[in-house]
Amino acid sequence: MINLTINGKAVQAPEGSTILEAARLADIYIPTLCYDKAVEVYGACGLCVVEAEGIPKLLRSCSAKVSEGMVVNTESKRVVQSRKVAMELLMSAHDGDCVAPCQLNCPARTDCQGYVGLIANGEYEAALKLIKNKISLPASIGRVCPHPCEKACRRQNVEEPINIAQLKAFAADMDLKADSYVPEVAPSTGKKVAIIGGGPAGLTAAYYLTIMGHSVTVYDMMEKMGGMLRYGIPQYRLPKEVLDKEIAIIEKTGVTFKNNQKLGVDFTIESLKAENDAVIVAVGAWKSSSMRTPGEELEGVYGGIDFLRGVIKGNAPEIGEKVAICGGGNTAMDACRTAVRLGAKEVYVVYRRTRNEMPADKLEIDEAEEEGVVYKFLTNPLSFNGEDGKVKSITLQLMELGEPDASGRRRPVPIEGKTEEIAVDSVILAIGQKLVTEDVKELELNQRGNIVADEDFFTTSIDGVFAIGDATNRGASIAIEAIGEADRCAKAVDAFLKGESLDTRVPYISKRDEKTIDYSDREKQSRINPKVLPPEVRNKNFDEVSLGFTEEEAQKEAQRCLECGCREYYKCKLLKVAQRYDINPQRFAGEMPQKYSHDENAFIERNTSKCILCGLCVRSCREVMDLHSIGLMGRGFKTDVSPAFSLPLDQTNCNNCGLCVQLCPTGSLTEKSSLKKQVPLDEIYTDETVEINGKKACVSVARYNGKVLRVIPNDEVSRKSGLTRDELFALVK
Amino acid sequence: MEKRAVDLSLLDGVLQEYAPVKGSLITILQHTQEIYGYLPREAIELISEKTGIATSEIMGVGTFYTQFRFEPVGKYLIMLCQGTACHVNSSELILQTIKDELGIDDGQTTEDGLFSLKCVACLGCCSLSPVMMINEDTYGSLTPDKTKKILKELREAAQ
Amino acid sequence: MRIVIGQGSCGIAAGAEKVRKALAAQNINAEVSITGCIGMCYLEPIVDIYDDENNLTRLVKVSENDAEAIAKFVNCGDKAAVESLVVTDEDSEFLTKQTRIALRNCGIINPEKIEAYTNAGGYQALKKALCDMTPEEVIEVIKTSGLAGRGGAGFPTWFKWNAARQSAGEEKYLICNADEGDPGAFMDRAVIESDPHNLIEGMLIGAYAIGAKHAVVYVRAEYPLAIKRLKNAIAQATEQGIIGENIFGSDFSCDFTIKAGAGAFVCGEETALIESLEGHRGMPRLKPPFPAQSGFWRKPSNINNVETFANVAWIINNGGEAFAAMGTEGSKGTKVFAVTGKVKRSGLVEIPMGKTLRDVIFDIGGGMKTDKPFKAVQMGGPSGGCIPADLIDTVIDYKALGATGAIMGSGGMVVMDESTCMVGMAKFFLDFTAKESCGKCIHCRIGTKRMLEMLERITKGEGREGDIELLEELCYSIKDGALCGLGQTAPNPVLTTIKYFRDEYEAHINEHKCPAGECSDLIEYKIIADKCRGCTLCARNCPVDAITGSVKKPHVINTDKCIKCGKCYQSCKFGAIVKE
Repeated sequence: MINLTINGKAVQAPEGSTILEAARLADIYIPTLCYDKAVEVYGACGLCVVEAEGIPKLLRSCSAKVSEGMVVNTESKRVVQSRKVAMELLMSAHDGDCVAPCQLNCPARTDCQGYVGLIANGEYEAALKLIKNKISLPASIGRVCPHPCEKACRRQNVEEPINIAQLKAFAADMDLKADSYVPEVAPSTGKKVAIIGGGPAGLTAAYYLTIMGHSVTVYDMMEKMGGMLRYGIPQYRLPKEVLDKEIAIIEKTGVTFKNNQKLGVDFTIESLKAENDAVIVAVGAWKSSSMRTPGEELEGVYGGIDFLRGVIKGNAPEIGEKVAICGGGNTAMDACRTAVRLGAKEVYVVYRRTRNEMPADKLEIDEAEEEGVVYKFLTNPLSFNGEDGKVKSITLQLMELGEPDASGRRRPVPIEGKTEEIAVDSVILAIGQKLVTEDVKELELNQRGNIVADEDFFTTSIDGVFAIGDATNRGASIAIEAIGEADRCAKAVDAFLKGESLDTRVPYISKRDEKTIDYSDREKQSRINPKVLPPEVRNKNFDEVSLGFTEEEAQKEAQRCLECGCREYYKCKLLKVAQRYDINPQRFAGEMPQKYSHDENAFIERNTSKCILCGLCVRSCREVMDLHSIGLMGRGFKTDVSPAFSLPLDQTNCNNCGLCVQLCPTGSLTEKSSLKKQVPLDEIYTDETVEINGKKACVSVARYNGKVLRVIPNDEVSRKSGLTRDELFALVK
Repeated sequence: MEKRAVDLSLLDGVLQEYAPVKGSLITILQHTQEIYGYLPREAIELISEKTGIATSEIMGVGTFYTQFRFEPVGKYLIMLCQGTACHVNSSELILQTIKDELGIDDGQTTEDGLFSLKCVACLGCCSLSPVMMINEDTYGSLTPDKTKKILKELREAAQ
Repeated sequence: MRIVIGQGSCGIAAGAEKVRKALAAQNINAEVSITGCIGMCYLEPIVDIYDDENNLTRLVKVSENDAEAIAKFVNCGDKAAVESLVVTDEDSEFLTKQTRIALRNCGIINPEKIEAYTNAGGYQALKKALCDMTPEEVIEVIKTSGLAGRGGAGFPTWFKWNAARQSAGEEKYLICNADEGDPGAFMDRAVIESDPHNLIEGMLIGAYAIGAKHAVVYVRAEYPLAIKRLKNAIAQATEQGIIGENIFGSDFSCDFTIKAGAGAFVCGEETALIESLEGHRGMPRLKPPFPAQSGFWRKPSNINNVETFANVAWIINNGGEAFAAMGTEGSKGTKVFAVTGKVKRSGLVEIPMGKTLRDVIFDIGGGMKTDKPFKAVQMGGPSGGCIPADLIDTVIDYKALGATGAIMGSGGMVVMDESTCMVGMAKFFLDFTAKESCGKCIHCRIGTKRMLEMLERITKGEGREGDIELLEELCYSIKDGALCGLGQTAPNPVLTTIKYFRDEYEAHINEHKCPAGECSDLIEYKIIADKCRGCTLCARNCPVDAITGSVKKPHVINTDKCIKCGKCYQSCKFGAIVKE
């Protein structure tokens, strides 16, 4: 045995061992991408470099042998720098998306491609569970979310984005129809967490913290939980029955709800802190913003969320026959459509820009118009004019679009001297909402009047008190934003309760350059929207407008997904190494060595643009299987892995042993699963023994949600058996 | 240029001599290219059969070395030196002249099949830089005018 | 009388073969034969005429039209006929100031005849080694000589030989690396073309020393003449029993093979060379194991370069001490350089170590060939660096040259004047290494490409603040992380130009200017009206019709149309066109 020191630890290794082998014996991690015991050492990736005392050069630990008394450092500054630059270079030439843009654009990082793909395969239960990893109220969110995911969906470059939000609602509705999924809860940690506010943020944090085994109580000032989802979203968009069911599931996990409990009246942050191990402030933004227009104080001028809350609680304010709504967002749409349903004859939406600039969802804008709403584009209220203290008309300044502003939208500018007056019975100001600052005066606030909370750790000015959602930092935003914060905050609080500190920043991932993506080979397929109630029916009641997807529609729509995210995401060794070092490949951005390409046979898919040229596939095909189906072609930057004469894989002698896929450290080679629509899933792999032609053989079985998705030969007998995947599947089932 | 049917019997001698000698792949490919002017796919498949070396390996070797071509070349293969001395003595101008005169880029062949252009590593005639080789002949101390004249003469000789 | 025509590749390219044919067509009373490279490449074609007392008359820049004059001189002694062709005393100094050991027979003997070599004392050293010395004694003499690897790295030759000798195993290989790939270097080609038997002799002595029965030469495919002459020499030596069984009656037997490379610079790296010899892609192997333990066909192998072997026979004949008497403390013997670029006299220069760069470039090379001042000399090709004018007195010695950031290298010495852009120079070499990278390791495959892209950006005037620092960071990472010598040394041209010419980088990046006026994206051509005679030559040469003007009137360049090809600048006979 040889005695050496690695990272200050005394290590013994047999004579002739490499430093890498010695480190692994001692459970010391050294990253490698081109090394595998199955084949000869190669030395390409250079990530296994280590520094040894007295040796001026860095050593590749996969080939350098141990010697007596050697002192090795596997994480020295020089080693880390070398690996960091190596990874930056590698990723600058790795053309692939780790995860799909829809997921990246979702503030909660919901695995949209995952659940859309599962729905396409009819795997609704698995889809729902996947959604619930990130969203505790999917049926509700699916209905109300302005779906940033769809804005990033690349299918729109072919024709229209996938209807991701409605597919989410579909999967969640399927779950609500039968025995709803209630997740398993971890054993109790004995830690107590109080959450102030039972809106989407508070409920989400409560759900995930409870699952982690903490004891959670949610305090809310209203009579029922749900926050803005309940008191800010009209019934026709989100039926309260759906919300109730979803909240009931959260309660089932063991969360304690305390309603009609107001901060500052029934308790204080300090009092909760004294009784709990952590407090999360998720009080929301419950005050309508002012427009600072003369006449706002007149009777008949209402705040948007105040108006909606009144309607929902059954005490709708008097709005008369002529109603004007000021604003262009989703609250404005909710308000105008609610006004229509309350029986108003003339409903105007006053908006200072044009339809194209409206922040509200396009579908909402269209549906409101169908219901009879009249848009007054390029107008801005100059004054609300009253009689006897009651609003009677609005003077509107006519506007035109000028130069683009910081947001890229063209700035509306008044047309000198041009005004218009419209008669109204009531005005609803739907231009934003704010935190009621008096409620949280114990906490440090920013200039905007919102709670200062760390963007990654969610900590506030009081130790042990965290804050999320509309009440914090930049103020009110969409529900999914609050949900995303709540999910990450739950993890941060969990860490805090364990005495740790967790950075919830999203680690590095690889993204393709959108400009380089070619869609010309994609066949056009129109987006499917669920059927809706006809305008003349729906404008008279508060029934849900959308009728939701049928199974057939949902599957068909989900099939449209372009499958942008990498199927090897969960297994990708390359990504794990990349995330270990704080890399910024952008500084080396340049030409990509290979065009995005696709080649497949019955089981294996190849995409050389993701290849990192570790050579494991070529070497294993040659050294282990003696097949030589693929080889290294060309040289230098443009080196490529390919069959001879650039033939497709199915014209080679490849026997589908799958070894190359198993060894591929990234997503350049993938093995198709048994699903008809391929989906990146966090499969669980187990080695199982089967009998092939009377001989014991080992296969690797991948399961997801209990279902077998792949059976991959995992020893010489199975690899050389010549069995097809169907025959292998039969052995496992 | 149109590819003609490949007469594989021309390879018999080469394969007889070198196929049994291990490590001879590059030599075999060099002879094959001498015979056909490039490496035809049929020839590679035959070499694979006779040597037992997989076609993926042969193509891997063939595409690694700049000497090998997989398409026929023109009657005159212009190899323009890219060495340091040539660079310092404005070989870039010569390259531009050839491109202008023949209307082809590096790696291309003229439509009439007369000229192919290839930028190559240092030819080792640095004192005569800038230098090019056309088939077996070396031309040194090139100027744009001299280059034009050489190309003109070759074109006339071919007619 | 004897007429000897210099027929190295350079000579032939310059027209030596035409001269030979023209002379053969004349009725001349003399034996006409050939020799290899005389080394005065700038004067090719060269015809040496020896009278019966062996007095030499050297004619230079001879053309086929001079054949008649030469015949007159040889047949009738009419020296006036060739007066204008006779080499000047000044040019003769190019050779007389050299000390030739590796090149001792080059340009003197006929490389295609073994007798020429044996008459010059050839194969005596081999005989001495085989008959009078043990392999250990041979290694000891080489150790005494201080001979170091002339391929560039300068590793002591005896040490490698000894390691291969000590390595267990019956079957061993001695390999000669003649894959001279550095652009701007042609020493090895000259040795093989001019004195192939010297290489064979050196190799056989080496094979004897390490106990190898097989000798292999790996030659670049781009050297057809060298391959031809070496093949011929091997055949002759085999015929005479110098190659084969029981050489000179000793127990020592050795066969000899030639393998032609196929165009890959990386095959100059010894493990890549071995891969290539085995018929594979020339991708370097991991070290350890080193070739001395496991090389060609996984057998102990020793690899040296041509020039190293070219010194061996001389050392055995003259003793290690004689060789060690030349040079400096750490660098013994002589070194051959291929001096090219903007130097007046370009060619092969062999001088003792310890001379200065000034000795080579100015004393022997005659200084600059243009009126522009000397700016820098590039040594070591893509693995080396640029040494600036103020370090011209640097001593030629492995350590001293290494200290500048450049390297001794295999002997390429490219001289540059003020018209050479140093960022462009770095780009030129990175373009070379990026193209020649085998693609195996990340640092070299992607790193050199990214460096090239940055340099391209800078020379286009699209450099960004921080680019120099980023380049430096990348350079050090590649040096540290690349698998083989090609990658590890690839940053040297960038690092040395940043070190000595940082202001040029800054000018490109900050001011979008190329001080040398070479980067076409950063310059503009203009016609000085006072100097323009209106000859219309520039307008006729312009490929894009960017120049207008009537005859005998000053012309004008339309800068919007101009593609900056520089053809007008080259064609103007009045210096009326300037680049800014």
